Amino acid sequence: QEVTMRIHQFLPAQAPIPAQAIAPWAERVTEESDGRIVFELYPAMQLGGTPPSLFDQAQDGVVDIVWTVLGYTPGRFPKSEVFELPFMLTNGEETSRAFHNYVTEHAMDEFSGVHLIAAHTHGPGLFHTADPITSLEDLQGMRIRGGSRIISNMLAQLGAEPIGMPVPETTEALSRGVIEGTTIPWEVTPSLRISELVTNHTGFSGDYGLYTQTFGFVMNRATYESLPDDLRAVIDANSGIEVARAFGRVMDEGDIAGLEIARELGNSIVELDEEETARWREAAQPTIDQWLQDMESIGLDGEALYAAAQAALNAEIGQ
Amino acid sequence: MFEERSLLTRVVSTLAKAMAIAGGLTLVAIVVLVVVSVTGRALLWAGLRPITGDYELVSAGIGFAVFAFLPWTHLNRGHAVVTIFTDNFSPKANSILLFLADLAMLAASSFIAWRLYFGMLDKFAYRETTLLLRMPLGWSYAACMVGASIFVIVALFVFARTVEDIIKGNPPRLGQGAGH
Amino acid sequence: MSNIQLGLLAFPVILALIFLRVPIGLAMLGVGIGGSYLIVGNFNPVMAQFKSLTYGTFASYSLSVVPLFLLMGQFATIGGMSAALFKAAAAWMGHRKGGVAMAAVGACGGFGAICGSSLATAATMGHVALPEMRKYGYSGALATGAVAAGGTLGILIPPSVILVIFAVLTEQNIAKLFMAAFIPGFLAALGYMIVIAIYVRVNPESAGTRERVPYRERFAELGKIWPVLLVFIAVIGGIYTGIFTPTEAAAIGAAGTALIALASRALNRQKLSEAFLATASATAMIFLIVLGAAALNSFLALSQLPQFMSNWVADQGFNPWIVLAVVLVFYLVMGCVMDSLSMILLTVPIIFPMMSGLDFGLTPDEFAIWFGILVLIVVEVGLITPPVGMNLFIINSMAKDTRLSQTFKGALPFVASDIVRTIILVAFPGITLSLVWLLY
Ligand code: NA
Ligand code: NA
Repeated sequence: QEVTMRIHQFLPAQAPIPAQAIAPWAERVTEESDGRIVFELYPAMQLGGTPPSLFDQAQDGVVDIVWTVLGYTPGRFPKSEVFELPFMLTNGEETSRAFHNYVTEHAMDEFSGVHLIAAHTHGPGLFHTADPITSLEDLQGMRIRGGSRIISNMLAQLGAEPIGMPVPETTEALSRGVIEGTTIPWEVTPSLRISELVTNHTGFSGDYGLYTQTFGFVMNRATYESLPDDLRAVIDANSGIEVARAFGRVMDEGDIAGLEIARELGNSIVELDEEETARWREAAQPTIDQWLQDMESIGLDGEALYAAAQAALNAEIGQ
Repeated sequence: MFEERSLLTRVVSTLAKAMAIAGGLTLVAIVVLVVVSVTGRALLWAGLRPITGDYELVSAGIGFAVFAFLPWTHLNRGHAVVTIFTDNFSPKANSILLFLADLAMLAASSFIAWRLYFGMLDKFAYRETTLLLRMPLGWSYAACMVGASIFVIVALFVFARTVEDIIKGNPPRLGQGAGH
Repeated sequence: MSNIQLGLLAFPVILALIFLRVPIGLAMLGVGIGGSYLIVGNFNPVMAQFKSLTYGTFASYSLSVVPLFLLMGQFATIGGMSAALFKAAAAWMGHRKGGVAMAAVGACGGFGAICGSSLATAATMGHVALPEMRKYGYSGALATGAVAAGGTLGILIPPSVILVIFAVLTEQNIAKLFMAAFIPGFLAALGYMIVIAIYVRVNPESAGTRERVPYRERFAELGKIWPVLLVFIAVIGGIYTGIFTPTEAAAIGAAGTALIALASRALNRQKLSEAFLATASATAMIFLIVLGAAALNSFLALSQLPQFMSNWVADQGFNPWIVLAVVLVFYLVMGCVMDSLSMILLTVPIIFPMMSGLDFGLTPDEFAIWFGILVLIVVEVGLITPPVGMNLFIINSMAKDTRLSQTFKGALPFVASDIVRTIILVAFPGITLSLVWLLY
């Protein structure tokens, strides 16, 4: 054994990404390095700190590798944030490839402190609510939890009452009626027992989903650079778009499993038709305009980034 | 220099106390904020609204309050200690142990403040904000720096006072210790 | 030395430091940082980690409930709720043999329902009940022992600061833990009253009698405690129904008790400042230990000790009930010299995963709740066991004419009742879990 690397992340070890994406990735690297790179996996923030501190933990060398939600540190990844905008995704696999490509071409400066293994997203986030949503009108005044700044903005602009709260509080708040619904992808619903708590799920028709969140799987730069050439080659071979695709695929498989649970429970699963979806897209446009303005205020060309992100996504659709 | 009535003692004590009161007022502000937000949430039908970002305001407020409470607590020896064994030690042995513990607290407070300072620089540099209100996190850190700095001053004062006590042969100021 | 050995070594080192009067949080912090250094081989990770660890630990929404509950208890004390509770309880049972002491215990239980801390409950009730008991000829031993024991109801009956910390540490639902604490807390009060009844029968000279109060007056006194009831219902009801998060409930409780204090006209600038300073001390003390625990736990995770311990215990095929008994006796013994919160923060990260691997015929959630309540009870016994029982010291310092040795002696029968209660709760997990089953 030459190198031991610590991987730190915020979910329990048995959650889809840790179990089906990170652990297999680590096994493959160990195998391809003939056992010279080994990993210690630390799930559920075992090494301390809060989830928002994960990216810094990789950058500063507290640990060697982290997997984290980029939106946990609002303001830090403005260029990457474009993929959080409404209707800016298809499924997990395509969007993850698009996002990884986009990041490597347009947002690498946001990752300059680390070695980027992969950037990816989850599948389409949708509504899980106590009362059914069949049209934009149904959403008006509903208390809905949103997970990030942009999603909360979007909920407000769509006419809902966004309630910001940490993920672990969601289950309790939903079961007690503090919130009437939440926006998350199917993949997260089993662990939060969402489908047992609410009976209505509302998604959209067409190629594009409502929203996604962005993730980074990154390595400490010094750890990466201190590797001997042959070992660095192993890491390089296991970095990039194929890793992003694998992570995105695990998200899609998780979505299928979550959807299946809701089906078995006999919940009502609604896909809004194209006409209705178009109304929502229109209603969500101010969120995008707001983001463009925000980019302008910090000196970034939001229009160009938005166009680049759309181009990256469209290039992957159906691939 | 460290007598009960000396200028230095009064200045340090006033600083620590003012900080603790500021922390207490912050708790009151949190109470008001939460009551207003919960009321707004309960009366949505009447056109009221919860306060946006109440979670992040509460977190930032508690962070500031705890840093603000540290100096007063150390100055008054409010941290939890176990005295059952040292109660049987001689005053001299207790003086030496107190010297070491106060030195350790000085080291810890300095370490905490020093690292917090660099954390603050990071948060400003990366322009990190809170989720909903987009308050710059750097400012939350900066507010905590006030409490952390006074904690260092108090730790330095307490340590120097212990050193003086040893030199003058005064009995160690052990305080009560605490539990709950 | 292997990393696991290093992790194991941490505990004797921390204990040695603590026994040499190093503040507990500081000892845990120092060993955590030092241990991480020894495993990693340099200070860089720790240095980087502390850029955000302290702020992240302190600025925690889930822990914000702790200072708010403490502030709530301070306002309740200023508002004189302890006196009203004691008067009402004394009106109803003061005339019985030992009745004033029983009333003190009952009032402690009532105050515990709006106060999250044992010391605050013991101190405020000692202030009210001790002079009264002395007036009616109660011995110093019984009077101080009863109030010291009654004070533990401050933590046993929800809201409870220690249960909040346990819930955060083990990622359990605070509302369920609070609900589960009710019946054991009620049994504790009942047990203490039974102890008093037996005590005055065995030592008839230890308690005098108080005249019977007419029913009209009894109801009048009872009518004065409605604010306590109101705050309690708002806080616990709010948490249970989920209308409030625990933090929101604590803030509303603090607002409610502040209103009571304002209405009683006792809340002036001087009192407010005292309330802030008392809250400051208790809060900073707790959070320094929480920070120390954060540093220590990150070192222990690096050492892989928690996994090793839980695998090892599971592999040995020990009888789970014997392991549980050993763990509880360990807490009981440690409680004689350490405070409860430090003990929980120091040991639960190792002991909880270890115990979770054993089969007690309960679901993981049920086990966590049941175990949490058991640990809470045995560590709280530490508050009234010599040589280091904080409640004993506090109460004794208020009773100038009672020697500490008498207070120690007076507390022992209450410790016995605690142990009997623990055995009952161990034998019948259903007693603790019934409310949770019923309500969820
Ligand atoms: Na209580
Ligand atoms: Na004790």
